[in-house]
Amino acid sequence: MMAVNHKNAIRQSGARIAFRIFNVIFLTLVCVLVVIPIWNVLVTSLAEDKDVMGGVYLLIPRSFTFKSYMRVFNSGYMRGFWNSLYVAGIGTLVAMLITVPCGFALAQRRLIGRGVFMKLISLTLVFDAGIMPLYVLIRTLGLIDNLWSLILPFALSTFNLIIVKNFMMSIPESFVESAWLDGCNDLLALVRIVIPMSVPILAAVTLFYFVSFWNRYTEAVMFINNSSRYTLQVMLRALIYQSDGSLGEGNIVYDNTKMAVMVLGMLPVMIIYPFVQRHFVSGLMLGGVKE
Amino acid sequence: MTSLRKGTLGKRIWKQRWLLLMLLPGLIWFIVFKYATYAGLTLSFTNYGFRKTVSFVGLRNFERLFRSASFFNALRNTLLISLYNIVFYFPFPILIALLINELGSVHSKRMVQFLIYIPYFFSWVVVGTIFVNLLSPSSGIVNQILKNLGMESIYFMSDVKWFRKVLIVSYIWKQMGYGAVIYVATLSTVDPQLYEAAEIDGCGRFRQVLYITLPTIRPTIVTMLLLNLSHVLMIFDQVMVMYNASVYSVSDVLQTYSYREGILTGNLGFGTAVSLFVGVVSLCLVMGTNWISKHFLEDSIL
Repeated sequence: MMAVNHKNAIRQSGARIAFRIFNVIFLTLVCVLVVIPIWNVLVTSLAEDKDVMGGVYLLIPRSFTFKSYMRVFNSGYMRGFWNSLYVAGIGTLVAMLITVPCGFALAQRRLIGRGVFMKLISLTLVFDAGIMPLYVLIRTLGLIDNLWSLILPFALSTFNLIIVKNFMMSIPESFVESAWLDGCNDLLALVRIVIPMSVPILAAVTLFYFVSFWNRYTEAVMFINNSSRYTLQVMLRALIYQSDGSLGEGNIVYDNTKMAVMVLGMLPVMIIYPFVQRHFVSGLMLGGVKE
Repeated sequence: MTSLRKGTLGKRIWKQRWLLLMLLPGLIWFIVFKYATYAGLTLSFTNYGFRKTVSFVGLRNFERLFRSASFFNALRNTLLISLYNIVFYFPFPILIALLINELGSVHSKRMVQFLIYIPYFFSWVVVGTIFVNLLSPSSGIVNQILKNLGMESIYFMSDVKWFRKVLIVSYIWKQMGYGAVIYVATLSTVDPQLYEAAEIDGCGRFRQVLYITLPTIRPTIVTMLLLNLSHVLMIFDQVMVMYNASVYSVSDVLQTYSYREGILTGNLGFGTAVSLFVGVVSLCLVMGTNWISKHFLEDSIL
């Protein structure tokens, strides 16, 4: 690769240089378009009330204060934050406890009925019954207004399961077999040998699950009617689009406070992402779904 | 003979008891939350929801569905948004990945991927709010630029001419990093010797991309396309978050229609009929594309 690059460097024609410059400019522009709106949210959330009055679009910070954050911390939005954290925390734990053993079992070529199981699972990837049967199911199970209605139906994702299974299939069977010789059963082999070898993929999948629980909106609107169990995303949508008065003095909620709730709404995921990111390239190879 | 076979099967099951035990929770989940909901689709042939007694009504829900003007409006919107999604969003991550791949340093490759992946982790509520801010007629940066250029400000979020475009652009903004990272990971598997050989044969960079890079990522493209098709008609969250009364006519999609008719009105049988319709059309779309790809490209996911 290095040698080719070197040769390229010598042969670089004018067109090639022009392309490189264009490429750098284009990708920089893409990154700027991604970062600017996020930056604006941060800057606005940290601004004084007077600087956001009349809805000024802030890119350069004019003031720096945690006042809006204090307002949010002392408001009902924290209940939404804890509800969301409960759903995302417990949900991710349950999801990993189901997905990892299931993925491991499916990765073992000797598994009885493996072909049938894989067919049944692959079907769910291309056919979805939609929202209405799920709503009826949740109602039948008596889970309306229960936060577990946002955990159980999403405690497994076929996509994540297949990612885990594909990765574990790439681990030579001899590793599992050597664990048997040490007197391990399959469960111990998974815990002692396979899981330590799968850290990158498991980190990525954990993040995917956490994000899917934390960000869920539509189902939270459908399944939760009791306002004390609202999740943060539902409260945030209501705040932005309906502007209720519980946060500001009088009836006005300033943009800085709205943006502070927004930051709260993206905080946990943003804290985890940088730690998991380095695993992404190795973890995210999209292997075939079929065998 | 049979008993002997049974014995060996029993023995095999016993030998794999741990493995099967590990499979069990996942299997139960699939039965309860996937296959039971498939069974629940039969409610579309009943009047479930209104009365205490549930009775079989045959195809009456579907007759009503295919006579409803708002259903056809929702169908039209769903198909248009899906088409825009496939045409405008789908090639975008591939293009970005090819460009990232052309970057010289590993460091900048990583940096770009790190940054453009971020919006994928935002909820639609967050992304919706970000676009409301950007496009605000009074203070949004886009309208400020338009004003500085001497143009009228545009009410993007409430203008029927603009709303679908906003849906697609915000979809690209949120999702492009996710797709791009998957393609970049696949691109890194290309054998560098292939490029070297092509170079010796006098292939320029563009032809190398055409004859080496694209064929390498073709299976990934097909997989991504099929996964995309399997949920493109299910667009729901984004619309639920971003639409408002003034753009109803262009943004009411099948899922929001089903939600309104089924849950808000309480006619669950009818709502389920919409769900069944979306599910079956999606399945046909995926299987059709899968068949085409299997026959012409020899790539398929099923």
